Amino acid sequence: MYKLLIKQFFRSKTVLLAFGILMLLGILGISTGKQFLNQKQTAIEKTTEKQRKHIENQVHLHKDDIGLLLYYLKFSFINNLQPTAGIAIGQSDVNPHIQNVKILNLEGQKYDTDLVNPMRLQVGNLDLSFLIIFLFPLVIIALNFNILSEEEENGTWKMVTLQGKSTFQYLIMKLSIRLVFVSIVLAVLFILAKVILSIPFSSDFINMIIISYIYIFFWFALCFFVIILRNSSNTNAITLLTSWLVLVVFLPVLVNNYITNKYPVGEALSMTIKQRDEYHKRWDTDKQETMKKFYAHYPQFSKYKVEDKGFSWVWYYAMQQMGDDESKLERSQMYDKIEKRAELSKQIAQFFPPLQIQLSMNTIANTSLAQHVKFLNATSDFHERKRLDFYPRIFENENVNSVDWKNYKPEFFKAENNFSLIKTIIPILLLTLILLGSSLLIHFRK
Amino acid sequence: MKKSVVILIAKQFFKKTFNSKGLMALLTIFLLVLIYVTVDGWNAFEANHHTIEHHQDKARKSWEDNPDKHPHRMAHFGTFAFRTQHPLRIFDSGIESYTGNSIFLEAHRQNTANFSEASLSTGLVRFGDLNIAMLLQLILPLIIFFIGYAAISSEKESGTLKIYYTQGVTMKELLLGKSLGLFLIVALFFIPALLALWSIALVDDFHLENAAVLVRIILISICYIIFYAILCSLTIIISGRSANSNKALLSLLGGWLLFFVIIPKTSQVVGNSIYPNLSKIEFRAEVEEEVSKKGDSHDPNDPHFNKLRDSILKVYNVTDVKDLPFNYSGFLMSKGEEQTALIYNQEQDKLIKSYKNQNSITNGLVIFNPYLAIKNLSMSLSGTDFTTYVGFLNQTEKYRYKQSQYMNELQMKFISNKATTSEGKVHVVGQEYWKSAPKFEYQFLSVSKTIKNQLFAFVSLFVWFIVSCIIMIKFSNRFKII
Repeated sequence: MYKLLIKQFFRSKTVLLAFGILMLLGILGISTGKQFLNQKQTAIEKTTEKQRKHIENQVHLHKDDIGLLLYYLKFSFINNLQPTAGIAIGQSDVNPHIQNVKILNLEGQKYDTDLVNPMRLQVGNLDLSFLIIFLFPLVIIALNFNILSEEEENGTWKMVTLQGKSTFQYLIMKLSIRLVFVSIVLAVLFILAKVILSIPFSSDFINMIIISYIYIFFWFALCFFVIILRNSSNTNAITLLTSWLVLVVFLPVLVNNYITNKYPVGEALSMTIKQRDEYHKRWDTDKQETMKKFYAHYPQFSKYKVEDKGFSWVWYYAMQQMGDDESKLERSQMYDKIEKRAELSKQIAQFFPPLQIQLSMNTIANTSLAQHVKFLNATSDFHERKRLDFYPRIFENENVNSVDWKNYKPEFFKAENNFSLIKTIIPILLLTLILLGSSLLIHFRK
Repeated sequence: MKKSVVILIAKQFFKKTFNSKGLMALLTIFLLVLIYVTVDGWNAFEANHHTIEHHQDKARKSWEDNPDKHPHRMAHFGTFAFRTQHPLRIFDSGIESYTGNSIFLEAHRQNTANFSEASLSTGLVRFGDLNIAMLLQLILPLIIFFIGYAAISSEKESGTLKIYYTQGVTMKELLLGKSLGLFLIVALFFIPALLALWSIALVDDFHLENAAVLVRIILISICYIIFYAILCSLTIIISGRSANSNKALLSLLGGWLLFFVIIPKTSQVVGNSIYPNLSKIEFRAEVEEEVSKKGDSHDPNDPHFNKLRDSILKVYNVTDVKDLPFNYSGFLMSKGEEQTALIYNQEQDKLIKSYKNQNSITNGLVIFNPYLAIKNLSMSLSGTDFTTYVGFLNQTEKYRYKQSQYMNELQMKFISNKATTSEGKVHVVGQEYWKSAPKFEYQFLSVSKTIKNQLFAFVSLFVWFIVSCIIMIKFSNRFKII
């Protein structure tokens, strides 16, 4: 029986078409990811080379004045993307992965963007995660919507019933063939992704695979539920497609729009004005006032006094510091809003598998907004380390050549995610079980 | 072909569909969503407008409040340009979520436009933006397909098509009539949406030339009407060509997936891989290399600028720059600014060119894909497209350059040649000069430029319309009746 059903399954044109589309787009998606990672990798290599040259150059130009030298010197801090980012590019194409910062006022430098075509960002990426979330459900619908209704419409269903075997079992058999087929296609794509993107067999990768499969089970359960209602093929198609449209296209857009408008981040603009003003106004205000604030922040530097008249680097860097220190309130308000956005997204996403899977994929691949905020915070720490390293040298007016400049290589951000598999899959599994349960209930009542 | 028959068929289709059980529910849901989206769009736009204006004023005020200062300090104090939105973004927000909202303009440094909405959003932003155009471009076509897929195929299945035929109704009349009927049904959906669009012109008080907005709105309306005419006829044609309704629905949905999702994404991906653009690090390296080739005014030993100095000394017949009648470092900076701005602009133009090349695949495909045509037209006419954004960036750079040079001129004129530092209250220019520096006024791209940019998309839409008419009229004999 199975054999015959499998034969019948592979004879249909839809199957070949579905397989062809998924493989083609899958390969395109994986190579998009590959290209993306390659571009990022090239930029990283260039950064390392550039920093070496840049330091060499500047040290040569300003060898007499370490204060002036540090006004020009830039240090790179890099968020090295994981290979899994090739599967879920997430927000990592919008947000820069390399920071080049001077030890000056950081808030004026931290949010600089990379050069990306906004058209491309708007159209979005065709990565594997998109394929899984967006296209796989459609293929599942196309394969399943008429498995029962078609037989009824063609009159073969009566024959199946006459054969005496459990019709339910027959239906399950048909469905399972499709499930196995889709699972194999997905597995092939994951294997391809693993090889092409050289993803190690880590828990991250396995988590990605698990949530993808659960997502696919969810769509099978939904199809099963609709099939068991025993409507005509056309009604089934329209019902399933409408659910797809609502779940994958419309609701995500609605949810995002709601979140964006609920928490507008106007504070970003307030912050950016504030950090400029707070530094610049120090040129015209009482020097000792500025220094008092600076010494309060760094008591260890209070021995470096500043004269009321004339320029000194201690004063200059203290002024720069004020840009960061005095815009703290606006900054924390801004981050607060961003966090609220992320939090609300997460909460709402629990109820909608496509949203949940997208956010989870991004989290696993470290390409989420939260991850970028972590990178920004790590940039602040990196910047602070540089400050603490160079402030005393500048204030002591050390000789430029006394510093071993070769040690100043780009540093890398160590990304970690706090992805919880259980928390993520429980809501989807629950939804899937509810769908399966109600399908069974409906079937056996009939 | 009898006109009356066409109209009769259209009427019949309209009545039958209008009275079907699902339509009212669908229409009600659509209208409710439309109202939500419009009101929400208005609120978001006004909130954004308010935020931008508030911050622009705040930034300007703190600029004007600066005390007497050394002009170079002012040059680095700099200005913020915050991007104002075109009111038509309520209708179609185009690429606005991905374009920077704030750009810091200072002397001899070109900064990036930061804080795009997407950079402050979670991954959900990538599913798309909610606005009227999204409903019109993605959702309504699907509704058209759902309503119209069985228009002819069901008649075929029930055998009524033969009856039409025996009564002397030709396929041509049937195709045209059904298309017209479908179009009238669809009008129930898109007319309210276009009314929402027109409401933007009526209530607009955002200091824009209303005439320009009106022209845009009229053009947008025309484009969408043609777009729906195309979709309705295609739906009917496919319904007529399919053996049964099932196949008609599948072909239409497959077409939707291909034309509305896969082609747009793939073409952009392909464009990006054929024409990769420089990363920021490479871009900066190119600029720096050019600058060091042509001369770096920050390098005291730079041959180019030393030559310039010597020639100036010669002209004024002095031996030391301190004896010049103007502030030499101001002069040096103005020359340096001129040089680097030129180099930067060349590189920036190259970058924009590579973006344009990336987009060219998509822009070329508008002839094959009416969805891409309407998408491009809609966002261009709504002032939310790529070209408009490039216009914004160019204007900010122009403004930045002017302002830096203004400060350099002030320095040359008023600052003593013996000044060594910008610190303290000695070498300063009066604060009245800050007020007299012009504000940044962002100008949207003119309608005529937009039309010129999108001429190809206009033409494509017309071509599709004509082709679908020709198929219905000239090739109607290719449609099978049984």
